[in-house]
Amino acid sequence: MAIDPSAVDLAVELAGLRLANPLLSASGTFGYGLEFGALTRLEHFGGLVTKGLSLEPLVGNPPPRIAETRGGMLNSIGLQNIGIEAFVRDVLPGLADYPAQVIVNLFGYSRDEYARLAERVDGLPGIAAIELNVSCPNVKRGGIQFGHDPDQLSALVAAVRPTTSKPIIVKLSPNVTSPVELGLAAKDAGADILSAINTVVGMAIDSRTRRPLLATVKGGLSGPAIKPIALRIVFDVARGVGLPVMAIGGVESVDDVLEFVLAGASAVQVGTALFRRPDTVEQLVEGLRQRLAGDGVRSVRELVGGVELGGSPP
Amino acid sequence: MLCYCPAAMESLSAVERGALVVSVEHHPLPLFTLRLRVEAPYPSVHPGQFAMVQAPTTLEPYLRRAFSVFTLQRAGESVGEGLELEIHGKVIGPGTAALAAAVPGRTLRLLAPLGRGFDLSGGGRAVLVAGGVGSAALSMLAEELVARRVEFDFVYGGRGQSDLAHGDRFGELARASGGEYFPVTEDGSHGERGLVTAPLSRLLHQGRCQRIFTCGPDPMMKAVCSLAEEHGAAVQAALETPMGCGYGACLGCVVPRRDGGLALCCRVGPVFDGREVAW
Ligand SMILES: Cc1cc2nc3c(=O)[nH]c(=O)nc-3n(C[C@H](O)[C@H](O)[C@H](O)COP(=O)(O)OP(=O)(O)OC[C@H]3O[C@@H](n4cnc5c(N)ncnc54)[C@H](O)[C@@H]3O)c2cc1C
Ligand SMILES: Cc1cc2nc3c(=O)[nH]c(=O)nc-3n(C[C@H](O)[C@H](O)[C@H](O)COP(=O)(O)O)c2cc1C
Ligand code: FES
Repeated sequence: MAIDPSAVDLAVELAGLRLANPLLSASGTFGYGLEFGALTRLEHFGGLVTKGLSLEPLVGNPPPRIAETRGGMLNSIGLQNIGIEAFVRDVLPGLADYPAQVIVNLFGYSRDEYARLAERVDGLPGIAAIELNVSCPNVKRGGIQFGHDPDQLSALVAAVRPTTSKPIIVKLSPNVTSPVELGLAAKDAGADILSAINTVVGMAIDSRTRRPLLATVKGGLSGPAIKPIALRIVFDVARGVGLPVMAIGGVESVDDVLEFVLAGASAVQVGTALFRRPDTVEQLVEGLRQRLAGDGVRSVRELVGGVELGGSPP
Repeated sequence: MLCYCPAAMESLSAVERGALVVSVEHHPLPLFTLRLRVEAPYPSVHPGQFAMVQAPTTLEPYLRRAFSVFTLQRAGESVGEGLELEIHGKVIGPGTAALAAAVPGRTLRLLAPLGRGFDLSGGGRAVLVAGGVGSAALSMLAEELVARRVEFDFVYGGRGQSDLAHGDRFGELARASGGEYFPVTEDGSHGERGLVTAPLSRLLHQGRCQRIFTCGPDPMMKAVCSLAEEHGAAVQAALETPMGCGYGACLGCVVPRRDGGLALCCRVGPVFDGREVAW
């Protein structure tokens, strides 16, 4: 029943966003993409999500900004970025050489800022979709306030919707009681795709110095430690909202990718694993192809949402 | 203000490779020297550059650990036999413990060479000031200075004698350059009793030091930099910050600068002009 790997179709489509394969780099974990062309073959990426971009450049939080914890890491980068204009001017032209779809991750302090960011990139053919970061736990205001309240989120998406013809991805926070409720609010206001999850708010203390390991005390947890949380949310959101889903959270192996696909994800973003190994996306694309060929699966699309629930305990 | 602009960033010469564990040399605890073999061709490594090494564990540590490239040599007679790269480390947590326990014959993942090393363009007599395992960052530098016929002294400080691993090697290199070796221990168990700043300030007063290269604990480097500044000597310091990736992707490794900005230690550093750092 095994088939030839070259016969496996890895292409996916989410609300008009076509990806040559379902694997993307996650926002904030691979810069703007171009800088690391020497370490991995970008042409193997299905897509690439930029670091969160704001209207003006941001310096980010003071150090220490990262701390490793068991099976993951905490970060409080604070959205350090070069600003949308520098990105469009200096980086975007270089990305045109690659087939990977470029998704810009946008961050603003107000509805108006998100709308202006979306409008700024609407006419740019090099950008395939926008991802609204309404779930970054590392900035004091903006962003997350929209991601934790369904009314605010729906007002935000409604403000952005008329400014762009590109697919709008809303990136959900895990730090809420009901991600489905927020997903529904985003959908009703015109979002096309949901991505889940952003980092999980966490904390670490050095017991010897009795001080927190991060300058900001709390930060966002990512890596394998959060995968089960992400899987549960992807599963709930895929079933409960009815929009295509991009899964994010602790992905580092082909098994992880397949678990998320079976839970309902049409595409999968890889974050922290890239820090450990810069060519992870490339490795996963090849690994996925081999695995599906071995299992005789012709198209990855056949597996989306295919988790078998029959017979499992209620 | 913002030091991170991908367009302005130097391109990476690092390569992602498997590395065969050749041997682990155990010094008095907690120090170890790990020897790895990599296939040729391998990019050249500039003194002060570092490697991100993946410990042979899966979840703790999850991320790689940064180590200075301690030595780099041909593995055999011909270039085709590959290269041997050593790191010299100190066990302080799970990552370093796992590397100290690496099994010869196994393969680790290695990303190197990373960062910007020491700037050797300036002239003048040099003093290398190492604190403990910070000596690792100065090892290839010492070799290079000998090759360039630059005279230097090597000041090597630690709490006690056991902190001064590879002291013989640094002494030989300093003497080969025409300079001297000054071991310093806080407990007086080896060499002069006290701190590295004592011999350094003598050398500065004697006019035997135009430029300083240093690596060690932050408080030591801070003291070294302020001495350098008092005497108008140039100083380059190899810094250590927590690093998530080592190649510029996580933005976790920032160093505060005196001008109020932040610089990525893994790309702009790890070697900084000591006067630029807000210690
Ligand atoms: C560019 C660079 C080059 C380096 N070169 C070397 C080298 O050649 N040899 C070597 O032994 N180490 C070197 N280091 C430091 C080394 O990376 C750390 O010791 C290592 O990451 C610790 O990992 P761990 O899992 O063992 O300990 P962790 O669990 O990460 O740390 C244990 C404890 O030590 C603290 N800690 C972490 N890093 C340091 C540090 N650098 N100094 C003091 N305390 C720290 C942590 O906060 C924690 O409390 C270098 C670091 C950088 C950034
Ligand atoms: C260092 C770091 C920086 C991040 N920056 C952003 C960001 O700018 N915008 C955003 O939406 N998410 C950001 N994230 C969240 C990731 O995109 C991702 O949602 C999260 O890390 C979970 O995936 P992972 O476990 O694969 O890393 C960041 C994560 C990390 C670790
Ligand atoms: S260590 Fe990740 S950016 Fe420097």
